[in-house]
Amino acid sequence: MKKIFGTFLFSALLALLPWSWALAQSTLDLAKKEGKVDWYSSASLPLSTKVCDLFNSKKLGIECNLHRDGSGQLYSRYVQEARAGIYTADVFHTSSIGHFITLAANGELAKYQPQGTGQVDKNFLDKDGFWSVVRASVYIPVYNTTKVKENEVPKSWLDFSDPKWSGKLVHAHPNYSGFVSEGLSALVKKFGWEIMDKFAAAKPRIVQSAIDTTTFVVRGEAHMSMGGTGYEPFVQMQKGEPIKFIYLQEGVPFIISPTAILAKAPHPNAAKVFSDFLFSREAQQLMANTGLYVANPNVEYPKEMVPLKNVRLLPLSPEDAVKMRKPVAENFRQKFGV
Amino acid sequence: MAEQKALARKRQLDPTSVVWFFSAVFLLILIVAPMFFLIRESLLLPKDVGGGWGVGNFIKAYTNPLYHGPIVWSLIISVAVSVISLVIGSLMAWAVARTDLPLPGLVRVGTLASFITPPFLGATAWIFLAGPREGWLNNLFRAITGAGEDSYLFNIFSMEGVVFAIVLYVYPLVFIVVNAGLNTIASDMEDAANIAGAGTVSTMLTVTLPLVMPALFAGLILAFLETIILFGTPAFLAIPARQHVMTTQIRAFMQSEEYLVGLASAYALPMLFAAIFLLWIRRRTLGRRGYATIGGKGGQRRLQKLGGYRWILFGICVIPLIGSIVLPYSALILASLMKTQGGGLVWSNLTFSNYGFVLRNDQVWPSIWNTLILAGTAATCGALLAALIAYISQRRLVRGYRYLSFLATAPLAIPGIVLAVGLFVAYTHKPLVLYGTLWILFLAYLTKYLPVAFQTSNAALMSIHPELEESSRILGANRLVVFKDITIPLFKVALVASWVLIFLPSLRELSSSVLLWTSKTRVITVVILNFYEEGRLDYVAVLGVVLMILTLIVVAISYRMVGRDFMSA
Repeated sequence: MKKIFGTFLFSALLALLPWSWALAQSTLDLAKKEGKVDWYSSASLPLSTKVCDLFNSKKLGIECNLHRDGSGQLYSRYVQEARAGIYTADVFHTSSIGHFITLAANGELAKYQPQGTGQVDKNFLDKDGFWSVVRASVYIPVYNTTKVKENEVPKSWLDFSDPKWSGKLVHAHPNYSGFVSEGLSALVKKFGWEIMDKFAAAKPRIVQSAIDTTTFVVRGEAHMSMGGTGYEPFVQMQKGEPIKFIYLQEGVPFIISPTAILAKAPHPNAAKVFSDFLFSREAQQLMANTGLYVANPNVEYPKEMVPLKNVRLLPLSPEDAVKMRKPVAENFRQKFGV
Repeated sequence: MAEQKALARKRQLDPTSVVWFFSAVFLLILIVAPMFFLIRESLLLPKDVGGGWGVGNFIKAYTNPLYHGPIVWSLIISVAVSVISLVIGSLMAWAVARTDLPLPGLVRVGTLASFITPPFLGATAWIFLAGPREGWLNNLFRAITGAGEDSYLFNIFSMEGVVFAIVLYVYPLVFIVVNAGLNTIASDMEDAANIAGAGTVSTMLTVTLPLVMPALFAGLILAFLETIILFGTPAFLAIPARQHVMTTQIRAFMQSEEYLVGLASAYALPMLFAAIFLLWIRRRTLGRRGYATIGGKGGQRRLQKLGGYRWILFGICVIPLIGSIVLPYSALILASLMKTQGGGLVWSNLTFSNYGFVLRNDQVWPSIWNTLILAGTAATCGALLAALIAYISQRRLVRGYRYLSFLATAPLAIPGIVLAVGLFVAYTHKPLVLYGTLWILFLAYLTKYLPVAFQTSNAALMSIHPELEESSRILGANRLVVFKDITIPLFKVALVASWVLIFLPSLRELSSSVLLWTSKTRVITVVILNFYEEGRLDYVAVLGVVLMILTLIVVAISYRMVGRDFMSA
């Protein structure tokens, strides 16, 4: 009897061995075997590069491969490639919450709660576990202090259509930039569709990236932007460039930027390790340094940054973000011409 | 009787015919397949309106007033550019070919340099030079004239700016065609006019001009076609001015997250038909050969003496060169070295760090490798294929040789972006999914540049007498051996020229690549476009300089191997 029991126990243990071996193989080991992670990121090129470089400097045996493009372009590219059966992206990160809701609804995202999101405000996490917000900012215009006097600066979003600004403004494109797409959606929600007519009447120069609007104003090619990212100008200002934010009286749209792992990611475990990294204090500090509000509560914000609670915000619910993306893009094409 | 039968069988079983047959089939698939799928896709209705076949895409494309603007502007820009380029290009060609212009070599080399510069790089440089508020030339203008900050000499972000930026890089095309035409006209008639008392200008207008008219017409059409298919310059200069042209509108359709390929196809088809129509007209006016060889070999060419006016003419000829080479290249190099875009042109603002950043970017080196691999493979396959087809046509080896040579030049009528839409449709579905691989880009480059290689080989073969080959055949060699041992050594130069004439434009190809690239198959021009859309003009300048260095290396090598005439095909 003892012998049979002993044999049985021994066989059971043997059978369990492969299981336990698999469990002992951590995500990190599997990730190392995969060797790299392809990151689709809409964060500014300097920031995305810094984050990728920081990850690579940790020498985890996983290489971060950055594909940086505007939110809208990243989404279109993913959809187009997926239609043809091509799956390149592992981690998907844009500033359009609408993308994530649509992707999750279509089963294109993998469920994953990155480590470090335990302390994050519940509103910034998908209740189904598909995406988590890494960073947040505002859609806010800037003006060039050498070209515009402080008392001339617009007080309301509706002031941009004042004829005195005609030909001196720059505006980015909603098909490219998530900030613009969501920012305009929030503005239309607040003011109605007439705000698009008013903006178009100002005949702004059109660029693609919201970050490019800041560059235009810094260079002096435009006196003011009609909306741009709330981060990156921050870095420019610290460098001494002559620009300042315009805090409009109605408030500025609040833009959240989630991250998620794609269901068909070629390197799913590397994606998990990288996603954890995005919420680490180091990575989040890099983001905070550019003027972003981040998920991790343990970062030190630059002292010049206005705390979020002191900023008047124009909200946009995720449902509205999904609903309004296409109408805003179509209206933009009609009113602005491109 | 039996002998006759044996002879007939031998001719039919000539193994080299098989080779010719397969080239023909390959060519057919290469060119006809994308066009077939393009037309088919334009007639397929999207699923959300019920699917099936119909003209819904055409209705949507042409009744929506939003999409009229791009068509109108494409036409206006193309007409303006072709007319202006005609004037500039033919004036310069006449000056170089027919007068005692000082330093004609400089003008020729300068025009060549304009020819190989990608127009979108020129456009980028002109943004630095002529942005209305902070362009360096406008700053200079305001400093000199003391004008207010709202006035400027030139706004590059306008339709005039687009025309200007394109003319700079299209006039060389007219120059080359008219130059070639002028070189075949004997001076006898001009001499006769001079003897009869006509001055230089009236001789030019009443004698030379009518003789060279076919070349002028050819140049006009080529310039028009070259302009209407451009994507880069309008993307960089017209979109900021809130105006789409046809090529950028097609890209917008293709880039949408919705599936708008049918709409893009319907919108693109008129470009194809317009190109076919224009090339047909050109062929009718110039006859079979398609280029202006008037008066056969041409007699002695004497140069018109201009006296004191030669230096004035030289000054006039140098102006386009300053606009297309001197200013833009200086601007690009300086811009690539600037630390901050708002810092201006001061020593303390210059740095190499932009090069450091760009060359460490994850997408840049892969794109450089991809570009070189694609250009090299397309050039090699294209040169060989073109040589084969030219040989068949010249030696009339198969009964349908005329169709073969027609197919080899047909891609001239297919605008790059239209070809890309066709390739996209053809190779994004089973059974053959080439989208996502470098193969689809390879096909685009090969198809696009095969005609110019074919014309080069064709022209070269015309001057190689068949008697040499025939003697070899009489001695018993079959056609492939003849080709290998007799023909190829004789027309090596044309082969190399063909190779270069495919390689160089492939390096800077954008209008097809912009629709066919995927995350893993970027090329240099696509990365440049990405940097531009991010607003990093400094990185655009850096990559632009890298691209031009690559181009110059290839041009220098081919000059050494082939001599200066390879560009005059």
